[in-house]
Amino acid sequence: MITLTNIEKVYRTSSIETLALNNINLNIRKGEFVSIMGPSGCGKSTLLNIMGLLDEPSQGTVELDGQRVASYRDKELAHLRNQKIGFIFQSFHLINDLSVVDNVEIPLLYRSTNGKPRQTYAKEALEKVGLSNRIKHFPKQLSGGQKQRVAIARAIVGNPEIILADEPTGNLDSAMGNEIMNILQGLNSEGATIVMVTHDESMAKRTHRLIRLFDGTQVQ
Amino acid sequence: MIRHLFKLIWNKKKAHILLIVEIWASFMVLFGLATLLVVNVGNYREPLGFSYENVWAISLSNNQDTTEVAQKLQQIVQRLKAYSEVESVSRMGGNFPFSATQMNEGIGYNKQHILADHYVTDEDFAKTLAIAVVSGKWYQSADSVGKYRPIVINQKAREDLFGGQNALGKVISDKYKVVGTIANFKAKGEFMANKPAYFELVGANDAWNSTMLIKVKPGTDAVFEAKVVKDVARMVKGWSVEVDYLTDSRKTQHNLVLVPIIIAAIISGFLLINVALGLFGVLNLSIARRRGEIGLRRALGATGNGISRQFIGEIWVLATFGLLIGLLFAAQFPLLNVFNMEAGVYVTAIVVSVLVIYGIVTLCALFPSRQAAYIQPAVALHEE
Repeated sequence: MITLTNIEKVYRTSSIETLALNNINLNIRKGEFVSIMGPSGCGKSTLLNIMGLLDEPSQGTVELDGQRVASYRDKELAHLRNQKIGFIFQSFHLINDLSVVDNVEIPLLYRSTNGKPRQTYAKEALEKVGLSNRIKHFPKQLSGGQKQRVAIARAIVGNPEIILADEPTGNLDSAMGNEIMNILQGLNSEGATIVMVTHDESMAKRTHRLIRLFDGTQVQ
Repeated sequence: MIRHLFKLIWNKKKAHILLIVEIWASFMVLFGLATLLVVNVGNYREPLGFSYENVWAISLSNNQDTTEVAQKLQQIVQRLKAYSEVESVSRMGGNFPFSATQMNEGIGYNKQHILADHYVTDEDFAKTLAIAVVSGKWYQSADSVGKYRPIVINQKAREDLFGGQNALGKVISDKYKVVGTIANFKAKGEFMANKPAYFELVGANDAWNSTMLIKVKPGTDAVFEAKVVKDVARMVKGWSVEVDYLTDSRKTQHNLVLVPIIIAAIISGFLLINVALGLFGVLNLSIARRRGEIGLRRALGATGNGISRQFIGEIWVLATFGLLIGLLFAAQFPLLNVFNMEAGVYVTAIVVSVLVIYGIVTLCALFPSRQAAYIQPAVALHEE
């Protein structure tokens, strides 16, 4: 599903050159639930961003469903992100000025889905994460766990094949973290391919495969 | 997406209230200026109705001399006609074309009463100013023998008094009889509104209307002017003689209209530039604050151009809120017939103002929104 070959990512400023990823080779199969672990600054989020087509590697190739994406233009990459990938972030990234249901609808806006079906799909997604009673609430009125469940609803509203989660339980207590993990496992059992960056060993153990990074290099 | 943008702005209305007020105020200022411009452009496009090239106005004042003034004025007319440089001479009151003097009078036909500009002139007035008679004829001295005094009215007076009917032969205010009609007569220049006017024949013994309009041959210069002044002064000792070229008087009249408009436009321009700079700054700040949201939207499927369009769309929505409030005020002008102007003038001014406001906000949003489009999603998300 996602194939990374000889991925290298270098951040350059006028005076410093930082090697964030070095010779990463990965193949994420359809339906897999993979976790990525490693110390802070080892390149986990960079790797996830490259998988999510939010960033380009300095070297190497990224293939999605066997298609190399290096030559894709902005419009095609945006289309792929919208159709195939759902993102979950540690800090939720909800828009505070929009209600829960309006936040969840956002990916569908970029598919030109009409208003009514858009709201129906958003409500269905919120029901899946157990937040159907909070659709008119605003993010500021929600707890951390509820915010992350809204973010998950937003990630799954467009039925993407891949979910990329960047420390989804990082800002939550263990009970909330477990709840979120249960939801992710449920989504995986329904067929979603999930790649999750985490610092939590116990969460990582609940996934099919663990990838460890150290200083930008894959060590496991 | 439009609904989404409206929701986004509506939910942040408290934060945007000052911007909305600013846009509303700009619209009102623009509406005032646009109304002024539309009125004057509309007036300018209406034909003047006469020719002023090579026409001079010689204003005579008898001062202390009160003996045989009418005869002396007749003699001056005859003397002026005798010059080979003069094509035509006409006598009239002090409200000659482009002068600062104005004279009007209420006239009526049946139950229709109007206020019309009143000009007292002789039979050569139409010839001197190359005025085309639309129907009937320009009056002659011989027409003054009847019970009613002959008058010529302009098209506007005809419309206001008689509607679509023929005006010839009709008696107005029980003392005037219409012998002819002309098209427009905009004595104060192109920017003057086309007002009703009527022309009355100057009496043979009239001693009051002492301005001579003379149409000179092309190329006649100041040497001739000096000669005329000298000759007239010799004929009527103690009188003052003043010569105005109608081309110069026209420029003065235009300045009276244009200078206030230019001042208003400059002040409005500065106001709008301030508003534009304010909007530009607010948008720049807003984009800097919303980098995380931009990154998120890119992650969820927005293109760079899509982000750019979103920010332009947001400012359009903001402008729409401001304009809707402004329209509530502006719509009262045509509805209440303020300043007795046609509704079309206000509607045109509203349309122009709305377009200018949308143009300004779009210009202000273009650069910041392009900047937003170039924000790298991974970097923006990481910063958050």
